[in-house]
Amino acid sequence: MSKKNKIYWSLGVTEKGTRALLTDENSKFKWLRSQRNRRVLVVLNMLGIVLVSLGSYYPTLKTNLNLNSATELVVYSVTAIFVIFLFLGTYSFLRIAVRGIADAPDELLDERQIQIRNTSYRYAYLAMGYIVLGLLLLMFFGPELQMFQPEGNDGSYLAIATMFAFAAAPSMILAWRERDI
Amino acid sequence: MSRNSEEPVFNQIEQIRTAQGLSRQELADLVGVHYQTIGYLERGEYSPSLVLALRIAKALKKEVSELFSLTEQKKGKK
Repeated sequence: MSKKNKIYWSLGVTEKGTRALLTDENSKFKWLRSQRNRRVLVVLNMLGIVLVSLGSYYPTLKTNLNLNSATELVVYSVTAIFVIFLFLGTYSFLRIAVRGIADAPDELLDERQIQIRNTSYRYAYLAMGYIVLGLLLLMFFGPELQMFQPEGNDGSYLAIATMFAFAAAPSMILAWRERDI
Repeated sequence: MSRNSEEPVFNQIEQIRTAQGLSRQELADLVGVHYQTIGYLERGEYSPSLVLALRIAKALKKEVSELFSLTEQKKGKK
């Protein structure tokens, strides 16, 4: 008889799903867990976040490229789909590569995993503090992002990219720092 | 003092585990940790809490002092 699958609403994970990741249940993703491949995923994930944030510069880019409306729609759609898949795909692989430790509840982790998870959150908190500060400075003083001007860009892509970065930062730091055993 | 302090803790886990014919996964299951954590312990890259040290000693049927030390012990000494 299967045990009830507990849902951790605040973390957005389930007990079965987390246990499956932690115990390497799906061995076909084993190749993702080498340090080299984890670091490649971190770089691709960061690239996805940077590309999402560049969406805020799209109106400027559109003007500079002088595209007609049909071409513009195609370019915009294809780029948006590519960027979303780049981020979501690499983020999903990244979570598998670090066994979902960053999002797992304490009761499913051992003491070393809790320690590395906590350390990754500490570094992520510091990194995000600097990133948010940089974004605020960019939004207030940047030449193309005068968000409080009537004709200015609303900076929504920057906000989305920041949200993505908040979600992925602990896993990215874990993936980068963990050694192979 | 933090468990991340510079002073290393040496251990005989790998030698004793292999002498007893246990895999990392089997020892990990006995003490309730991930097999990777056993790997980190064996390589001296992680110092366990007192509770975990006691659990490992119990699983390997040894005293904590036989497993862990602040000075490096000769290889093969059990």
